[in-house]
Amino acid sequence: MYSSNLPTWVSSKPSNSNKNILLYQFNQNPFLQFSKRLPPKSLSQSPSPFTRIRCRLRELRKRIETVKSTQKITEAMKLVAAAKVRRAQEAVINLLYTINESLQCDDVDCPLTVIRPVKKVALVVITGDRGLCGSFNSAVIKKAESRISNLKGLGLDYTVISVGKKGNSYFSRKDDVSVERFVEGVGFRTAKEAQMIADDVFSLFVTEEVDKVELVYTKFVSLVKSDPVIRTLLSLSVRGEVFDVNGNCVDAVEDELFMLTTKEGKLAVERDTVRVEGGPISPLMQFEQDPVQILDAMMPLYLNSQILRALQESLASELAARMNAMSNATDNAVELKKNLSIVYNRERQAKITGEILEIVAGAEALT
Amino acid sequence: MTLNLCVLTPNRIVWDSEVKEIILSTNSGQIGVLPNHASIATAVDIGILRIRLNNQWLTMALMGSFARIGNNEITILVNDAEKGSDIDPQEAQQALEIAEANLRKAEGKRQTIEENLALRRARTRVEAINAIL
Repeated sequence: MYSSNLPTWVSSKPSNSNKNILLYQFNQNPFLQFSKRLPPKSLSQSPSPFTRIRCRLRELRKRIETVKSTQKITEAMKLVAAAKVRRAQEAVINLLYTINESLQCDDVDCPLTVIRPVKKVALVVITGDRGLCGSFNSAVIKKAESRISNLKGLGLDYTVISVGKKGNSYFSRKDDVSVERFVEGVGFRTAKEAQMIADDVFSLFVTEEVDKVELVYTKFVSLVKSDPVIRTLLSLSVRGEVFDVNGNCVDAVEDELFMLTTKEGKLAVERDTVRVEGGPISPLMQFEQDPVQILDAMMPLYLNSQILRALQESLASELAARMNAMSNATDNAVELKKNLSIVYNRERQAKITGEILEIVAGAEALT
Repeated sequence: MTLNLCVLTPNRIVWDSEVKEIILSTNSGQIGVLPNHASIATAVDIGILRIRLNNQWLTMALMGSFARIGNNEITILVNDAEKGSDIDPQEAQQALEIAEANLRKAEGKRQTIEENLALRRARTRVEAINAIL
């Protein structure tokens, strides 16, 4: 009949929402009896009044320990996420250099720039693989859903390519959404995954199964803010500009570089605009093959790098979201621990006082 | 007078140093590049890049790319590149067999395109290992 413990939840959001909880488990005591009203986070009581206070003390102590260890975990996760954000950014730097090496194209026909009347749209939805990252995954999925209903309203057919475990599990549960393919990565986003997605998208577009490909991912705005955006991937526009669904230019020229550094002991993000000048093409340069062939070779490269960039930006935002969520969880854990300690001390003092009284009463009775 | 070769993938810089000569396989055949070559821009096919350093040839498998040659500077942009010495022979052979099987099974234009690409890549990797002389 040893009383067992209560479930306790440490919320990772500031108190007004209860999604995304970090858990530490205790079991319920089946013989619940409340004699004294404690604040809601209090424990159940064991049946015998003799063992009541002792068990409560022990349970309180255990709870304090677990909250302490939870806090350590969330703090560690926060630092790990910060380190990974750095890695993701460095990968993007290399990408930008390659993008800016591309040549200007005039009116040359290439299978990827063909503009067809749109009957079917492919959506590439990029989500994360793991949870505990706040509202990151749900924001992207919500955006994708709204676009899907948009397309349905316009009478267009659609198909979904889902990247990331969270998105995969969501879309596999929904029966009314047709999914083309699930892509699951292993750890860090590599060019091989981008290659796979690019191949898929390329063949879909070229064989005219879809007429337009859009990318749904989260743009990294700052450490605390990230925006899910939708970008048109194919067909590529001639001038190399990239347009949003609403016609807003989402160009790669204004790209910024984020560096995660520390400022006065706290993590901060420094921005740096990348200005890579395209070197002048030597007027004597000959082309080994005719322009069409060269463009044919370059377009897949460009496509690949666009997809890779979206993947890595998504990864960076996911890690930033996880950092925030874990930091909130840590703060909540600290507060919970404080409250529990106060209750624990009060109980302990009450118990000691009770024992003293008993002893004194017993001594009185004897004399 | 040596050539400076730079092979870049989106993830990392695969090669960035000086070489004596390279042999590149492009869409229109193989070309050899010596120092003071004319400025040229070319599309590179899925194939092998051979690099000569001091009478020693190295091979690298390139998966389709673009190359720009000018002023003794060669820049090759690839989606994926693997040094011949980094490829595991067993694994590459197996990948080749799997790709061939997939091609035979492919139905429809789209799958055929995809499997063709995969096959060419697998074949390039196997050749890269065998071509180390």
